[in-house]
Amino acid sequence: MTGYDRALTILGAAMLAALWVLPLIYAVWTAVHPSEYEARFVLTAPLTLANFIEAWQAAPFARYFLNTFVLVTVIVICQFVLCTLAAYGFARYRFPGRDILFSLVLLQLLVMPDILIVENYGLLRRMGLVDTIAGIALPYVASGFGVFLIRQTFMTVPQELDDAARIEGAGPLAILWRVYVPLAKPVYLSYGLVSVSHHWNNFLWPLIVTNSVETRPLTVGLSVFSAVDSGVEWSVINAATLMTSGPLLVAFLLFQRQFVQSFMRAGIK
Amino acid sequence: MTMLANLLKGAAAAAALAISAAAPARAVDLQFYFPVAVGGGAAETIQALTDEYMQLNPDVKIDAVYAGSYQDTITKVITAARGGNAPQLSVALSVDMFTLIDEGLILPFDDFIKTEEDKAWLNSFYPAFMENSQTGGKTYGIPFQRSTPVLYWNKAAFAAAGLDPETPPATWDEMVEMGKTLTRRDANGNVTQWGVRIPTSGFPYWLFQGLTTQNDAILANADGNETNFDDPRVVEALQYLVDLSTRHEIMEPGIVEWGATPKAFFEGQAAMMWTTTGNLTNVRANAPFDFGVAMLPANKRRGAPTGGGNFYLFDGSSEEQLAEAVDFIKWITGPEQSAKWTMATGYVAPRPATWDTETMKAYAADFPYVLVARDQLDHAVAELSTYQNQRITQIFNDALAAAITGQKDAATALAEAQAQADAILAAYR
Repeated sequence: MTGYDRALTILGAAMLAALWVLPLIYAVWTAVHPSEYEARFVLTAPLTLANFIEAWQAAPFARYFLNTFVLVTVIVICQFVLCTLAAYGFARYRFPGRDILFSLVLLQLLVMPDILIVENYGLLRRMGLVDTIAGIALPYVASGFGVFLIRQTFMTVPQELDDAARIEGAGPLAILWRVYVPLAKPVYLSYGLVSVSHHWNNFLWPLIVTNSVETRPLTVGLSVFSAVDSGVEWSVINAATLMTSGPLLVAFLLFQRQFVQSFMRAGIK
Repeated sequence: MTMLANLLKGAAAAAALAISAAAPARAVDLQFYFPVAVGGGAAETIQALTDEYMQLNPDVKIDAVYAGSYQDTITKVITAARGGNAPQLSVALSVDMFTLIDEGLILPFDDFIKTEEDKAWLNSFYPAFMENSQTGGKTYGIPFQRSTPVLYWNKAAFAAAGLDPETPPATWDEMVEMGKTLTRRDANGNVTQWGVRIPTSGFPYWLFQGLTTQNDAILANADGNETNFDDPRVVEALQYLVDLSTRHEIMEPGIVEWGATPKAFFEGQAAMMWTTTGNLTNVRANAPFDFGVAMLPANKRRGAPTGGGNFYLFDGSSEEQLAEAVDFIKWITGPEQSAKWTMATGYVAPRPATWDTETMKAYAADFPYVLVARDQLDHAVAELSTYQNQRITQIFNDALAAAITGQKDAATALAEAQAQADAILAAYR
């Protein structure tokens, strides 16, 4: 690559990055300035945290944070357990109907979750789980994508390691726990990150299932908080938005490499 | 490895917490979904009114669920009803009536109206609000958070431009004339203050319906299966709206944002604005100058659409629950309750009786502009509402946007919209 090409690439990337980060910068700008400066960009504008305080007090965000935290934790744990066991079975055991079952699991990837909303809702109602955090989580705990991803990883584990553990006297679960899971750790990390970010941001399903402050996650709480008809208080809404997306932003900065890798891995394999 | 193990332990604890939090919802007699489309305090007002009702009627429990915007609420309520868990009552846009009937989800109120007193109650609402609430001789909606658009004007800007600050424009021509006087440009020719602002984002059909009504056109029939988008009077109204920006240059060109409109008015970027009366309390609290509120200007006649939400009664509960729900609706639309709601928001109290209460009289004496929207009801028509309402209004909105942004001329855009609407509505004739 010539120097000229390189400069052009960097310039292009910088422009795209600037475009991408612009809404975020605007959100930060409005959130830390009084509302008079929403559309006036003066460097000397006074800084304030009042918007954050106002937003925090205007809605029970602490409760929403707890709900979202519990929700994503439950989902990720259940997904790890279920997907690991299923993936192990598909990767290392031969049994009749295995391929058909696995293609059924893959078929799940083709179904838009949104079209199942009414059906899922009816089921949850019969189970008495409407307006519970367990109810928001339940449709997502058996993830076809997770099974697929982890199975592909387990398939790459050399059979020799498996055999060696067996000779040492390890049972199937011990082999899974001591051989497969440790080798797949990066995949768990990346899958966990994708799953957390997805469920942190999920909106439509929690909106429909939750009825009360005690179960509402952040996304629904934020939407309920920012009514449009009254004339938008961008400064307060943006302060609330930054607050609610803050943990995820920080996580992204910390795990940036894994985040990018996880999406690449999901695509390549 | 230990990291993962610790993570698992922590997660198990979190899961246990979640499951204990997942105890079944408490037993309630009634469930009630409501949206809020105006400033933050409105949800608390509804909750307070519900609590008051429960105190007066200790045997009734009502779970009032704040469901977000109108759009969120309708999504939630339709899913819940289809999933066999319909709330007994919900507030939703009055224009969603045909959709809800079409889905077979709501019940007419007529079955619960038995006594003479009940009949008198049903007949005690403003007829303009009932237009969107009745079809086929039955009443499906009870007006609650209802509005109409009004014109707000900045008296300081009027005075600065040499106009009489107490006289808003009464006709289309006057609005153009005054708009020209009010539009100010700096030395470079950039506009610092527009004459008027009619927002056109999101749901432009609503304010545009003000213009069509003033031009003596009716957009849809009462059965909700026929539209008149290509009526020459509708075309003329759209041309007037487009001309405000292109020919007269008194309104910001392009799509004008709905949500930012009150803000633009407060900051003096526009000297007059059209928006919902639901914003009245907000404007009163936040406008840094003296402002006025007037009916929308007239052309062939005065006119405005109604808007906002009605109570609906949902199928799928016992007779007893539904009768209780109707009792609650009767109470909350009662004069004193309704007065509280109007003062908290600016929504138009839907029954004349509310305006006769001492509370409301005192409020109106102190703040006469609260009466403008009510008085405009004499000239108001039903908000555009048809079967397949979401699709029809989308088609109409797209046509308006195409004309406003100059992609199509008004006549072409509306003729195309009419053809598309006909194709959809033919099934309902």
